[in-house]
Amino acid sequence: MSKQVNFTFNGKPISCEEGQSIAAAMIAVGNRELRTTRFGDEPRSIFCGIGVCYDCVVVVNGVANQRSCLIEAKDAMNVESTS
Amino acid sequence: MIIVIGAGPAGLAAAEAASRNGSEVALLDSASRLGGQYWRHRDSVKGYRSHRAGLLFDKVLQAPSVTHICEATVWSIERVSDLFRVNYLQGGIESSLTAEKLIIATGAYDRSLPFPGWDQPGSMTPGAAQALVKGQGVLPGKKVIVAGTGPFLLPVATGLAEAGAEIVGLFDANSPLRWSLSPRALLLNLSKVSELVYYAKLLRRYRIAPQFKRVVSSFDHGKVTISRINSDFTIKEAASQTFDVDVVAVGWGFLPDVTLGGIVGCLQRVDSDGTTVFSVDADQRSSQKNVLIAGEATGIGGADLSLLEGEIAGLSASGQPIPTSLRRARYRKQLFAHALKISYPIPTGWQSWPQGSTTICRCEEVKHSEISESVSELGAEDSRTAKLFTRAGMGLCQGRICSRNVSEIVAGLTHCVVSNEERISSSNRPIASPISLGQLGDGKK
Repeated sequence: MSKQVNFTFNGKPISCEEGQSIAAAMIAVGNRELRTTRFGDEPRSIFCGIGVCYDCVVVVNGVANQRSCLIEAKDAMNVESTS
Repeated sequence: MIIVIGAGPAGLAAAEAASRNGSEVALLDSASRLGGQYWRHRDSVKGYRSHRAGLLFDKVLQAPSVTHICEATVWSIERVSDLFRVNYLQGGIESSLTAEKLIIATGAYDRSLPFPGWDQPGSMTPGAAQALVKGQGVLPGKKVIVAGTGPFLLPVATGLAEAGAEIVGLFDANSPLRWSLSPRALLLNLSKVSELVYYAKLLRRYRIAPQFKRVVSSFDHGKVTISRINSDFTIKEAASQTFDVDVVAVGWGFLPDVTLGGIVGCLQRVDSDGTTVFSVDADQRSSQKNVLIAGEATGIGGADLSLLEGEIAGLSASGQPIPTSLRRARYRKQLFAHALKISYPIPTGWQSWPQGSTTICRCEEVKHSEISESVSELGAEDSRTAKLFTRAGMGLCQGRICSRNVSEIVAGLTHCVVSNEERISSSNRPIASPISLGQLGDGKK
């Protein structure tokens, strides 16, 4: 069993395995929606999964436009949806 | 020193080959682990002949003259007299590295075509589904449909099934009978036939029955509509089947990322299937002195061809002789790559799948109706003008997902064909990834 990591997504506590991306951690707990779009307020999730499409961008510790499919979840990370 | 950009099959093979005579190699990759998109792995790589990956990983990691720099996103390359300065972001910090020679092995990403609902959560590329399973150990969903076209759908569907997903359907838009058009390529690549047998056994084990000449024509909150199509990809029977699923993974082959080679000025050409790729000579040298290119960026051909091209590029860059056997093997795989294009074409009929309200540019949320209005009402005659009117392709992904589709939609609406100049210009970006002015200002040179 690998080490657990605890972070928050929109204030909600989330646990995942060490080394998992933020997007993978959220899908593993059944939370597919990662953000809503700027104009249409449409929900978006992971799409290309490899950092090309920027559809899964979130705010990580206050830094915007971070690709949640690439960034590993870390302890005490504060992740928020962009909208 | 030689800088290899990309640590997938081509980049790994290049780094390993170049290190054989002790040449200093820096292997840069944006991921945290070796392997690239195809050989991404957690503990072990599974799949056909995947032991090759482990052997190559070990050789590269043990080679004393190879330095692996991970989590480094290259955003630009500059020429400084006879040297190349590669600028990259690592953990939000800008750094750079200088070398005499470059080997670009930046690979490819899934090509996507728009259909109603392709922007909803639950719709993703087969590459994303595979990345979640192989790279993250997470199932994208319990019930999955895999669709699109090409042989990559097989490892994705069987990999998902192996990880515990229910494959509700596997749909290829093309017929496997098209392989009969390429007998010579098959005869010279009998190993590919045994690879097919390997996947056929897995499909049987997981009770997956592939269906052909069918596409996912809409996805609406878990409801998937499958349509039968004609050979030109127009819809033949709008709703032949419907399913309830968690995920649709739809992919249409691959697009190479040509941005970095484009920044250095390497000559590009349009492949027979309309894809922008690099021109290289028999030693994998680009049109620019001391810049070599290997793998998917010279034409989509899969991991086998990428390994050979990478090895040749590594030997060539480090001044070692290139065995004739390698060149022959590459020729055979190139024939197979050509057969792939003949077997899995994407004719223009897909342009009839989106509705007016269907998103075409995901980043800037541009609908199909806005693009058609830019042509019919505003008089846009080419995609560049349509993009200026609508902002399609101007978002964070810099048009990597939609640019080719927008070009082809505008050409379809104006009854033109997309020119090679337009295909090449819409595939290139002035910088390779978004960088904030703050990061640029804080960087050390």
